Amino acid sequence: MMTSYLLRRINLLLVTLFILTIASYALAYLFPGEALQNLSGQLNPNDTTYAALSEKYAMDAHPIFGFFTYLGHLLHGDWGTSINSGKPVLDEILSHLPATLELSTYALFMSLLIGIPVGFWAGIRFHRSVDYAVMTGSVVGFSIPVFWLALILIMLFSLNLGLLPMSGRISLLFDIPERSGFIVLDILLSDVPNKREALYNAFLHMILPTLSITIVTSAVVMRITRRSVADVIQSDYIKAAIARGLSRTQALWRHGVRNALLPIMPQIVMQFTVLLTNAMIVELIFSWPGIGNWLLQAIYQRDYPAISGGMLAVSAVVIFFTLTMDVLVRALNPLKRRDVHGTI
Amino acid sequence: MQLLDIKNLTLEIPTASGSIKALDKVSLSLKKGEISALVGESGSGKSLIVRTIVGAIPDRWNITADRLTWKGQDLLGMSEHKRRRIIRDEVSVVFQNAVTALDPTATLGEQLLEAVPDRLLPKTMFWQRRQHRLALAQKQLHKVGIKDHELCMKAYPHQVADDVCQKLMLAMSLVSQPELLIADDPTMGMEITTKVQILRLLTKLNQTRNLSILYVSHDLLAIATMATNMTVLYCGQTVESGSMSELRHSPLHPYTKALLDSAPSFRKDLPRKTPLSSLPGTIPTLQHLPIGCRLGPRCPRAGKECVKAPKTHRLHNHFYNCHFPLLPETK
Ligand SMILES: Nc1ncnc2c1ncn2[C@@H]1O[C@H](COP(=O)(O)OP(=O)(O)OP(=O)(O)O)[C@@H](O)[C@H]1O
Ligand code: SF4
Ligand SMILES: [Mg+2]
Repeated sequence: MMTSYLLRRINLLLVTLFILTIASYALAYLFPGEALQNLSGQLNPNDTTYAALSEKYAMDAHPIFGFFTYLGHLLHGDWGTSINSGKPVLDEILSHLPATLELSTYALFMSLLIGIPVGFWAGIRFHRSVDYAVMTGSVVGFSIPVFWLALILIMLFSLNLGLLPMSGRISLLFDIPERSGFIVLDILLSDVPNKREALYNAFLHMILPTLSITIVTSAVVMRITRRSVADVIQSDYIKAAIARGLSRTQALWRHGVRNALLPIMPQIVMQFTVLLTNAMIVELIFSWPGIGNWLLQAIYQRDYPAISGGMLAVSAVVIFFTLTMDVLVRALNPLKRRDVHGTI
Repeated sequence: MQLLDIKNLTLEIPTASGSIKALDKVSLSLKKGEISALVGESGSGKSLIVRTIVGAIPDRWNITADRLTWKGQDLLGMSEHKRRRIIRDEVSVVFQNAVTALDPTATLGEQLLEAVPDRLLPKTMFWQRRQHRLALAQKQLHKVGIKDHELCMKAYPHQVADDVCQKLMLAMSLVSQPELLIADDPTMGMEITTKVQILRLLTKLNQTRNLSILYVSHDLLAIATMATNMTVLYCGQTVESGSMSELRHSPLHPYTKALLDSAPSFRKDLPRKTPLSSLPGTIPTLQHLPIGCRLGPRCPRAGKECVKAPKTHRLHNHFYNCHFPLLPETK
């Protein structure tokens, strides 16, 4: 049962990735300019290079054959060269993606850390003043455009109060060698003399970007949680638990939390896509050296190999994350584990 | 001694279109060691009474009562904490719909073990307590008729049949060795053999352990063989209460009579091919309750006085709420 489900998910993952590569290959033809240039990233090659590239991407053969050649190059890690920097696209992606993932991870954790408890609180006080206050706050929270919010935060905390830095991941004074791409991990792995200050400095840089994303996402998480908790409180099994002599709090803690959280897991996982998009926007405003920032530069510069490579990478991350979480959520949910013990 | 004594209990549910009296001056009492039946049509408020007794109702609902006492102690006036202790240690409830009354994400075993009270465990180290808990739980499962306890305890509610959930609910209620068992339709939808098993178990517990039972059901036949007393409910009002045999043989209230007549197996003298008797009309919704006696519009004996709610009258140990009862001389 579980294995067949897993196989189906993996199948879905592979098919989706395959379709994405088709899209990415098609983009090379749809973008302005020559397809070969868009695939390889070589500007104005001389005759010999041109012939070599044309051979490499099987330009003279049928496009379907061309696509499989391209797929082969992708699988071998050859994603073309960035027109902008002249470096291989894959290297560029691998050096920018971790920064985005790092920011998104913090933001996701913060959103859950704030959204779920506050949502619980509102759900318990369903249709009372606390609930109304939380709901009003969350409407404001998720209707604010994220770039505007980021700018307001910068104006307030960086420019007016001067409390927090407004751009980058760490002060330029610290020279942290890049290993994993995750700044906190890199600091810990490095042997700079003042690790403590470096960590503190990185932490200060993190606050505003994380906060901008968190405000929006936690507002949504809050609403989802509150609805679910309000439903669970009404349920018979909570009433039955109270009738067995448990207090309201005990009943909710023992039988409510799991039942409220399990069904909303998939909805919360879906928020990750929105969160990643917001993270990419926020990166630009805070000059965070992530993939969003890099992708935007690529678009400005019409760096087509970079654009299609970046698109491929970001969508692959989203799909991979969503499907993994889907499997995980299912494994955790006993309601989905049907027919394990047979019927009695 | 009265174990449970309810006098003029009124429950008001606030709704968008004003508050509704879902229970209107309901009275009910139960002595130690008694099996008392609470009957009434669907929607008459039987489950609401059960939930009011154990306090499993929303705070917004308004309860008033002349008396709502447990062994002479006022349940409404006492502290939340004290009431919870009484409910936990002395009263158990089997809820009507066992499948929804069980936590869907916990195994049946976890829920049954949780219901084993600490007071029944010997004072030992906590890792030994689990063993005792398990032993008590398993014994109880066998008693309610679940043989394969291991399989049952590992399963989640959705993995077992409905009647297993019902039996488990019953096991959960009995495992705490209560003085009073409130069973809200515990045999709903069960097969006849299973039903007989459960009823036999309850009767036996009543005889051997002196367990008092408030048995809520539509099933007049089951009740008649078991209960000593009966309370009849119509639309949130008590219409008649008294000893089972008296109510059965000489009902005083028109509704009780109609109810008994509509259960054919109850009338031994029934000639063949007589049409089933029943009252005209249907039970009104809570939003459109008639004033006065709520049976009024459907009652064959109704008169002008019936627009005022009848008071409780008494004939020996037999209580009825009616202006024109079926008294022997008027019959
Ligand atoms: N949460 C609620 N809010 C509003 N009205 C309710 C609520 N719960 C029950 N009621 C109403 O109270 C009335 C009595 O319901 P109750 O469940 O006590 O009936 P019952 O006698 O147990 O019926 P059954 O035999 O079908 O179990 C019904 O008309 C129902 O609509
Ligand atoms: S009080 Fe009137 S309406 Fe009500 S049951 Fe008696 S006779 Fe019928
Ligand atoms: Mg009911």
